[in-house]
Amino acid sequence: MRQTDEQDREGPGDGAIVRAVLAGEVERYGVLVRRYRDRYARYASHLLGSVELAEDALQDAFVRAYERLSQCRDPDNFAGWFFLILRNRCFAERRRLARRSPLLEDLGATLPAPGRTDAALEHAELRRAVQQALLALTAEQREVFVLRHVEQLSYDEIAARTGQTVGALKMRMHRGYDRLRVLLKEHWR
Amino acid sequence: MSDGLDPQVKRVLDGEAEFTTLPPPLRAQAAAARRVLDAVDRAPVQLSAGFEARVMAAVRDRAARRGPVRRAVAWLVAPREVRLVVRPWVTGALAAAAAVAIVVAWPAPDAPLAAVGSDSVAVRFVLHAPGARAVTVAGTFNQWDATVTPLVTSDGDLWVATLVLPRGEHQYAFVVDGAEWVPDPAAPTVDDGFGRRNSVLAVNGGRAL
Repeated sequence: MRQTDEQDREGPGDGAIVRAVLAGEVERYGVLVRRYRDRYARYASHLLGSVELAEDALQDAFVRAYERLSQCRDPDNFAGWFFLILRNRCFAERRRLARRSPLLEDLGATLPAPGRTDAALEHAELRRAVQQALLALTAEQREVFVLRHVEQLSYDEIAARTGQTVGALKMRMHRGYDRLRVLLKEHWR
Repeated sequence: MSDGLDPQVKRVLDGEAEFTTLPPPLRAQAAAARRVLDAVDRAPVQLSAGFEARVMAAVRDRAARRGPVRRAVAWLVAPREVRLVVRPWVTGALAAAAAVAIVVAWPAPDAPLAAVGSDSVAVRFVLHAPGARAVTVAGTFNQWDATVTPLVTSDGDLWVATLVLPRGEHQYAFVVDGAEWVPDPAAPTVDDGFGRRNSVLAVNGGRAL
């Protein structure tokens, strides 16, 4: 599998593969799936708070991208185009989840306070609390947080991917910092 | 504790300032914030073993269904006559109220166009875009490359290009001055998934719509 993944990463460019798929070589779409599934699985997982939901979103996005492949105006930038499809899918899912769990924004009140002193357990507890707190951010705040602090993208790179301005992204992030500080006040020491 | 982080601390978290540049009173706040950020889970996500198989099964299913569906669409929109439509169109970037007209017509009896073959048809695109410096057409037939298919003009208003296209459905848009993507207001459009519209052209036999 690893060898296949490396070959997929180092093989023909995305544009050549997209054109081949459009010409009827459907199986070559699998190269794009292998090339980008892991990269975007983490993004979707953080945005949706669940690996299972992320996998569903990713699968839908890949199929939707195939159905619309002829509309990909820049086949060499398949990754960026696909990201927008996945992003739309994740945001739609977030809206659906919010309708089902309207109290999500109040999650901060239920975050567990640290109760153990053991360093490893404390770190695990903090990690769990941070993950919960991220769920309580708005979808937009959460996305920029994930892209900046999980995917380690610069603000310029995030702006290029999402179409937002750097200024708007920073404002969103800074409000997210403030929100996290409130949600994690018991851990913020 | 104030709810808001100090702006200087936020700049450090953003990676735009060094921790050591903070005044000492703010360093504890930044250290606490760093500790929280360091606890963010960055581990790769493991998808289930059958993920790729499920995606490709769905893709093959879509591919198998694509043929009949496209044929049905082509039948539904098959033209019965040559069409010429001229409509005014206004866009923000072309504040001079540029009028857009497209002629997708084939074969006009007196037109200098000829049947190319059983599987290809010549299609003439005409865009009325006064004031434009350059016009191209991009679509599924040229991989949406906005640089390879220019329209030409003799009077600065009417821009024309004739393309040989295979039979079937094509999506396209005009690109004015290399930046403004303009759908054909007279042709059917479809959502491209990102809030823009693509025009749809169904080339059937010796005619196009």
